[in-house]
Amino acid sequence: MRLWRSIAALLLMGSGIVEAQAQGTISNLPRKETLIVENPEGTIKNAGWFNIWSINAGGQSTGLHQLGMDTFWYIDPQKGVDGVWDNSLASDKPIYNADFTEMTVKLRKGIFWSDGVEFTADDVVYTIQTHMKTNGMRWSAPVQVNVADISAPDSSTVVFKLKKPNSRFHALFTVRWNAMWMMPKHIFEKAGDPLKFAFDPPVTLGPYTLNSYDPDGKWFIWQKRPDWQRTSVARFGEPGPKYVAYIDPGPPDKRVIAQLNHDLDIIHDVSPEGMFTLAKQSKSSHGWFKGFPYAHPDPTLPAVVFNDQNDTFKSRDVRWALALLIDIKAVSMASYRGAATISAIGVPPTGSAPDYYHVPLESWLQAFEIDTGKSKIKPYDPTVGKQIADMLRPSMGDQIPTSADEINKSFGRGWWKPNPKAAHELLERAGYSKKGDKWFMPDGKPFAIKLMVEGEGRPVMTRAGSMITQQWRQFGIDATTVVAQGSMADRRAAGDFEAMITWSVETWGGHPDLSFFLDSWHSQFVAAPGKPQPPRNWQRWANPELDKIIEQIRQTGFDDPKGLELGREYVKLTVREMPTIPLMSYNVFTVMDDTYWTGYPSADKAPYTDPVPNWANTKYMMGRLKPRP
Amino acid sequence: MNGYPVYLLTRLGQFALVVFIGINIAFIVTHATPIDPVEQSIAAATQYGSTSPEAIALMRQSLKELYGLEGGPIDQYFAFWRRVAVGNFGPSLSAFPTPVSVLIGRALPWTVSLLVVSTLLTWVLGNLLGGLAGYYRQSRTLRLGGLLAMAFHPIPYYIVAFMLLIVFGYLWPVLPISGGYKMNMPRDWSWPFIASLLTHSILPILSLALVGLGGWFMGMRSLVSNIVTEDYVVYAELGGVERRRILASYVMRNALVPQVTGLAMSIGAIFNGAIITEQVFGYPGVGTLLVSAVYAGDYSLVLGITTVSIVAVSLAVLLIDLLHPLLDPRVRAR
Repeated sequence: MRLWRSIAALLLMGSGIVEAQAQGTISNLPRKETLIVENPEGTIKNAGWFNIWSINAGGQSTGLHQLGMDTFWYIDPQKGVDGVWDNSLASDKPIYNADFTEMTVKLRKGIFWSDGVEFTADDVVYTIQTHMKTNGMRWSAPVQVNVADISAPDSSTVVFKLKKPNSRFHALFTVRWNAMWMMPKHIFEKAGDPLKFAFDPPVTLGPYTLNSYDPDGKWFIWQKRPDWQRTSVARFGEPGPKYVAYIDPGPPDKRVIAQLNHDLDIIHDVSPEGMFTLAKQSKSSHGWFKGFPYAHPDPTLPAVVFNDQNDTFKSRDVRWALALLIDIKAVSMASYRGAATISAIGVPPTGSAPDYYHVPLESWLQAFEIDTGKSKIKPYDPTVGKQIADMLRPSMGDQIPTSADEINKSFGRGWWKPNPKAAHELLERAGYSKKGDKWFMPDGKPFAIKLMVEGEGRPVMTRAGSMITQQWRQFGIDATTVVAQGSMADRRAAGDFEAMITWSVETWGGHPDLSFFLDSWHSQFVAAPGKPQPPRNWQRWANPELDKIIEQIRQTGFDDPKGLELGREYVKLTVREMPTIPLMSYNVFTVMDDTYWTGYPSADKAPYTDPVPNWANTKYMMGRLKPRP
Repeated sequence: MNGYPVYLLTRLGQFALVVFIGINIAFIVTHATPIDPVEQSIAAATQYGSTSPEAIALMRQSLKELYGLEGGPIDQYFAFWRRVAVGNFGPSLSAFPTPVSVLIGRALPWTVSLLVVSTLLTWVLGNLLGGLAGYYRQSRTLRLGGLLAMAFHPIPYYIVAFMLLIVFGYLWPVLPISGGYKMNMPRDWSWPFIASLLTHSILPILSLALVGLGGWFMGMRSLVSNIVTEDYVVYAELGGVERRRILASYVMRNALVPQVTGLAMSIGAIFNGAIITEQVFGYPGVGTLLVSAVYAGDYSLVLGITTVSIVAVSLAVLLIDLLHPLLDPRVRAR
């Protein structure tokens, strides 16, 4: 008995020690002053590398680009703290000459690096000149393609002379997730080869500086600068958290456990099921939307992207037929368990886009007609968003909004009504034929489609792809899903796919200008079959009408209302031609815990920025976060 | 023992040949991957930000030059062996320009310490309990232990790991579920740091031990069950030799020979990393490094890790081969 008693005492003592060890997740820092955030990059294999100007050498969203970096301008994916556009290091918007061959930037005064040195035009000139003369840095290529010369007439003005007209050159320095960051001249000019300099510890322009990091890359802790008033965000008040920790919390299940234990304030993304668990079990956890669908719709548009150089998809009728065979409600349920925000048009339904594109084009979409040769149909069903909401209401109850406006924002507006009869007619007109219950192509071969999906790396999109192939198969098309896993990027760039679930549309979110992605859709950039295609026209679609739209946008100022009109022309053209089948926005299940902090962005009360914490734009969130009383 | 030098040379030659063939296969496989590190870098650099197609073409060319990927496969093959000969695997392509050896060197101590402890613990406990269970077949406690070991053995590892996570991370949250030590703790080898290291390793070690124990247990029990029927054991029992001595000197010692070989193989395989353990428990190590290298198409890093692993496993086998004749007279006689 004595032995058993000793063992029991030992176990009890051990569990006491272990419990004491497990208390709190951070050593030597007050939890109430620390915001703990998921970094979706995971474990950083080269943790001590903070030189963000070398390509993928270290982490980016470890807090480095959110809290430590700065550049001229930011465009908010949502409403912005003080409007969508923010002059950050610049004191004004970009000033172009008449033919867009010169851009002048006026710099904000009184901004200092974290080591006390003042930020001036010399830093900008150094940054640009270093990229001009060094190949292989992150922004070397766009600088070398665009910049002929840079000068600083005084310490707060820089003038870029461009090699050719470019009305969107400022986009290089305008943050939408990231942008080209400014380098501290006084550090790098003494560092030797800028490609081999680790920049540890980093000297920052943002309101935080590095406190400590795990050499094994699991966590990075940033500390509010004592001189935060000398940074660009001081205009919006003092950042709330004294410390911000960016961590790798592990797989989705562990993120959920960590937040249930209040050890993780912001989850970057989790599975729909994880989100539903948190919504049910934790009173302090919430998403972007107050209720269902919770997730933040990123300004990214997952779609069925056809390889339009493939003979199978060259016909508009075939592409439209395939669109009319998709039941988006089933795709929404399969992918996001209904928590998707659908879009029938080639603009993500988020930020300001619904006001600029979806709402004004609603009546055009309702009137839009397709002539199959045998019948005329109006394919647009404006009630699909509402149908999804109604479908979910019995199981989700009060979580589902009831007002039409909220439903539109949460679930999207309309989509294409499944119409197998019209699809049949369109395929027949394209020379396809049905024998028995199978479809055959004009050359007599079976109509087969391999739809590529990413696999476990992106399960939501993979589930969407599986549902779509199932729907096509039910119609008699030999559709199969191909899982690309890690080779996705290579195969997409090489055009080694027939159709895939990915996105070739990304927008600013808060600003209606579409050149962010659309310029790359010009036919001048479409690669020959087999050659690598530069981002983002993965569909390799070339269209003279689109080229004209893009060329006009290039000659139009960024804020010119004519740009919006041209954007709408693009939408109408892509609805008619259907080069890709837009599905939904990329919804990110960012979950925020109110236990220690309040003031997070939200769709209804505080849409001042995107809460998805790997966006550099989330620096604006820090000023709004306040400790929970 | 006159033949031992010949035996030694033969085994050393086999070792060199196995390592050479293994590394060549690894080189071919890694270079046959459809994942291009340049495309991965471009995708990562342009995934969210603004991109101009002209700039991308220039970036692609610059990265090929920077990563040294411009020559053909034959050039790369010889360059690789030149580097391996001096123990340098070149720079990592997904953490350029940091050398592969630095990344492996940083991750390896975590993996080695975790797996050496868990492997030895599992091996000692499994063999000890298996041996006892095989010898004392009537013991109820040992039968129950055997039942438990066998019950855990077939459960997929990740299920056991998640069960532990839920029990000790959520239902009774007494153990840390992520990382190698507490966040922001100075790595100064003070008692709090060591205690933090230990507590963070409990769940990963426990998960590996629970699943691994059954294999050693059952193996040892079967071996002992056979040995106890051998004539010399029966003779010893009839001769009145103490049971403990029979078990230790006659039964276990003989049964341990194949188990020692298995242990050496397991220790060698440590250098492969415990991929699922590291992923599930967020534990640092070579496994996580390998997975990220594969996804990034970083074949320098993949080759570095596989080369270390090939050499380690081959070395373990070599050592066993060299030690066996010294330990086991039956092998020496052959």
